[in-house]
Amino acid sequence: MQKFSLVRFSVEHPKLVVVLSVLITMLFATQFPKIRTDTNPKNMLPATSDVRVWNNEVEKTFGLYKDVIVLGIRNEKGVLNAATLASMQRITDRILGLKGVAARDVSSFGTIDNVTMDRAKDRTGDGGTLEVGPLMPDAPKTQTGIDSLRRELYGNPLFIGRIISGDAKMAAIYVPLEKGANGKLVADAIRRIVRQEGGQKAGDEYYVAGDPVARDTFGVEMFRLMAVFAPIAGMVMFLIRYLMFRDLFLSITLMMDAMMSIIWSMGLLIGLGFPIHIMSSMAPVFLMAIATDSMHIFNEFYFRFRQLRDKKAAIIETMRAVSRPVRNTALATAAGFTVLLFMHIVPVRIFGGLVAFGTLCLRLFSFSFIPAMFTFVKAEKLEKIARSEDADSDKTARFLKKLAGFGIRKPAATVVIGFLLFMVAVVGITKTNINNNLVEWFKKGSDVRVADTVINRSLGGTSTGYIVSISNEDGYIKTPAAMRYIEGLQRDLEKLPVVGKTTSVADYVKRINFVLHGNDPKYFAVPPTEQMIGQYLFLFSMSAKPSDLDNVVDYPFEKANIWVQLKTWDARAMRDVIREVGRYKAAHATPMDFKPAGIAYFNLVWNNEVLWDMVKGFMLALIVVFAILAYDFRSVKWAVVGYMPLLFTIVLIYGVIGFSGKNFDMPISVLSTLSLGMAVDFAIHFVSRFRQRLSESLPAGAGGVGKAQIAEALLWTAQRPGKGILRNAVLFASAFSVMLFAPLTPYITVGAFIVSMMLLSALMTIIYLPALITLGSGWLFKGGTR
Amino acid sequence: MRRLCFFTFFAVFAVLLPAGAFAAPLSANEVMAKSDAAYYYPGRDFKARMVMRLVSAGGQQRLREFTMLRKNYGPPGGRQKYFIYFFRPADVKDMTFMVYKYPDRDSDRWLYIPALNMVRRIAAQDKRSSFVGSDFSYEDVSGRNVNEDTHTLAREEKIGPRDCYVVKSTPKTADVEYSYKLSWIDKATYLPLREQYFDKRGELYKVFMADEVKTINGLPTIMKRTMKNVQSGHSTVVEFEKAAYDLGLPDNLFSERFLKQPPRKWIE
Repeated sequence: MQKFSLVRFSVEHPKLVVVLSVLITMLFATQFPKIRTDTNPKNMLPATSDVRVWNNEVEKTFGLYKDVIVLGIRNEKGVLNAATLASMQRITDRILGLKGVAARDVSSFGTIDNVTMDRAKDRTGDGGTLEVGPLMPDAPKTQTGIDSLRRELYGNPLFIGRIISGDAKMAAIYVPLEKGANGKLVADAIRRIVRQEGGQKAGDEYYVAGDPVARDTFGVEMFRLMAVFAPIAGMVMFLIRYLMFRDLFLSITLMMDAMMSIIWSMGLLIGLGFPIHIMSSMAPVFLMAIATDSMHIFNEFYFRFRQLRDKKAAIIETMRAVSRPVRNTALATAAGFTVLLFMHIVPVRIFGGLVAFGTLCLRLFSFSFIPAMFTFVKAEKLEKIARSEDADSDKTARFLKKLAGFGIRKPAATVVIGFLLFMVAVVGITKTNINNNLVEWFKKGSDVRVADTVINRSLGGTSTGYIVSISNEDGYIKTPAAMRYIEGLQRDLEKLPVVGKTTSVADYVKRINFVLHGNDPKYFAVPPTEQMIGQYLFLFSMSAKPSDLDNVVDYPFEKANIWVQLKTWDARAMRDVIREVGRYKAAHATPMDFKPAGIAYFNLVWNNEVLWDMVKGFMLALIVVFAILAYDFRSVKWAVVGYMPLLFTIVLIYGVIGFSGKNFDMPISVLSTLSLGMAVDFAIHFVSRFRQRLSESLPAGAGGVGKAQIAEALLWTAQRPGKGILRNAVLFASAFSVMLFAPLTPYITVGAFIVSMMLLSALMTIIYLPALITLGSGWLFKGGTR
Repeated sequence: MRRLCFFTFFAVFAVLLPAGAFAAPLSANEVMAKSDAAYYYPGRDFKARMVMRLVSAGGQQRLREFTMLRKNYGPPGGRQKYFIYFFRPADVKDMTFMVYKYPDRDSDRWLYIPALNMVRRIAAQDKRSSFVGSDFSYEDVSGRNVNEDTHTLAREEKIGPRDCYVVKSTPKTADVEYSYKLSWIDKATYLPLREQYFDKRGELYKVFMADEVKTINGLPTIMKRTMKNVQSGHSTVVEFEKAAYDLGLPDNLFSERFLKQPPRKWIE
């Protein structure tokens, strides 16, 4: 056997193996300075994906910005006072000077244009003078000035809910970003400006929100978290291992094992020129956790050493005993990650390949580096540890024996209870809530979340979706029919609770109609002829920034763009809007088609794509893992048995998620796939070692297996490899429990998920497997039981 | 002793400096005043049929076609009247626009909306805003008072074969969207051949190019010009199809009555 000779070689030339390992590690480490990062979750979808291509097209057609930051200014006593307005103007001026800001299209009191009718200046005798200009050229200092600003603001419905709230307690500045600008950097600069220029003393409060803030803050936090949490997780594992074995040298060995695999795989990734993405940044923690599987080697080694009293022989014997399960768990884990290579989403594929490679490295070390390191431990030291590892006197082992004993004595009850729990969990799963909300990835009290909540409470909404109305006729949008249809659709969409405000070309036409007719409310409507609409739009282009018109209608007037401001970042909000548009079109005939676009739509699509890709991956992994089990056990029956604890654990966890009402979102879907390859390890160890033990204890040529023999072998397995399983689970869980303290909810989710999964599946393996094996012994053992 | 030397040096230098300045042919202010006259005030009056192409960053185009009439009242830098009749886009045909420009106060503007058969006076507080959706502002079309900026001669440079003054103009008030502008003024014709506008961050954002200059009735005239917003990618190209000076435009043409019914003779 090749692997076996590798172990022997390592034991015989330990120094060479260790030096070689360290050298190769250093080689991989040389790649690290070339590191590139990509914090934009958008890049989960390739630039050629339909939604990105379409969104780019829409942005180009309507001169829109991908990313807009919203600065909310709130004052309990109202923002329309001289001090607040003056500071708003100073803030706007300085924002215009920021790098990365598309200054020409910043919307604020000072930069937005308004067209009004001043009847007082009625010199021509037929209505009055059209006033065109910035809404607030200078911050008013007098009450008269403030009052006239208030009249202008509330006289134009386009402003209400966008730059001023209905209750005048909140105003907003919209800051579009140039392509490639970093939202977090601009947001930080805005926060700095606000601190210097703001009117906090007068009771002004400031809130910075918008997708780029959430996204880029998330990206930055993510890397910080990984830089902090990976080492902390490593230290926790190191400490717990030390407490388990009381041996510094071995704890360091295990730590080195994990570190080397991390450096090898990350080095390879960086060396190949891939950027580190959100997902791959999680890889070190996963690899550290996977590395804990070598625990079984240590566990067995101490038992063997006690029996053989010879280091080299004990190592070789240990490896002989555990090589199969260790190899196969590695195979299962690697397979679980390898299926990700067949997924659609590139960063997911990279992550899958990265962890699969790391897992294979770890196994290579298990058969070379770790045995080599064992030879350096002093025999007396081993003696001491091994003594404490006495299976019968050990409290943990006794506890495990009791657990397994329950499963063996009351197998039917155990299986029935398990089945009931399983059914309840299935009910929970049917209640699963599929949704994603980028802003809710931040904790409740966080700046990002607070800002978003406050702004959404008073204004139209920080998340924007577009409904592009497409006719196939130049100029069709200028027809009264199209205008009225768009207006009707807007009113319909505004009835949805998630929609805060909608804006379209029809609003501009109505505005001009109203103003030209001396502010007569009767004329706040779509005019009756195409010619009027055409001339109003032309007039509008003379009275506002050209981009204002471009944002809502394309050049040939063939397409119109309806802005839909959403009060929530829930992906399903946009789903509701799309559904409502479909309903409206079904009920009202029109030659126009409607297609969604914008950031809200993008979030809906990319979350869904990642989510379903992951669900697909999960299904595939289930099949692959089953196949590996069947191959490993050389038996489909045993594979079914070994599969049970894993299936059970996963169904139970998803059941709890379903009942809790927590969103089944992208991070959770990512976890599902990852969990598979790892949770099955315990069953592999348990079943392999159990069968090994049973065959060893049977006299050659015996016709069948005795119930007593099965029970004995089960108890032995629960005590001895079972201890390794429990240790593995505890280590694994403790490493991930660190994540429970993260400031971002997906990390907390990952932490909670993996901690509960590890503990549950370990428990399931130790209680449920003995019960299943006892109950199904007639079916499982060919010769039947005696 | 050394200090005395330095002092003497500076004293001599200080005396020589204004003499050097006197030696220069024109001050920056004079260059810009001459340019204003050559660009916005040539002839007693002027008529041109213009085609304006608005080109989006994505390459889509919108057309505006109009006849512009201009009449001077007084010397360059003084009062002017403008009359614009729109042919295209088709749905604004017959729309007219009239401006009375005053050197020392905001212009008066009137717009005739044919669909409503209605004339509206427009009080525009923002001279820097876009002219009919183009990249040209109202000021780019009808001129900006030379005294509103501080001009300095940055350097002299050639554009192609033509010698130019490069003048840096900084607005005296902060309500202008650019922090400064560089103009390349042709030494022979005093027409601006190129302009660069820099935003408040000091970044280039708009570029003007005189693409084609012809002499019409003895007056050098920019027949094709482009204004490009380099930040947004949007640009506007204006071409003069017909142009003529000193036609003897009547005074009463620039009146509300003719806004509604402009005489064919002058607009065709």
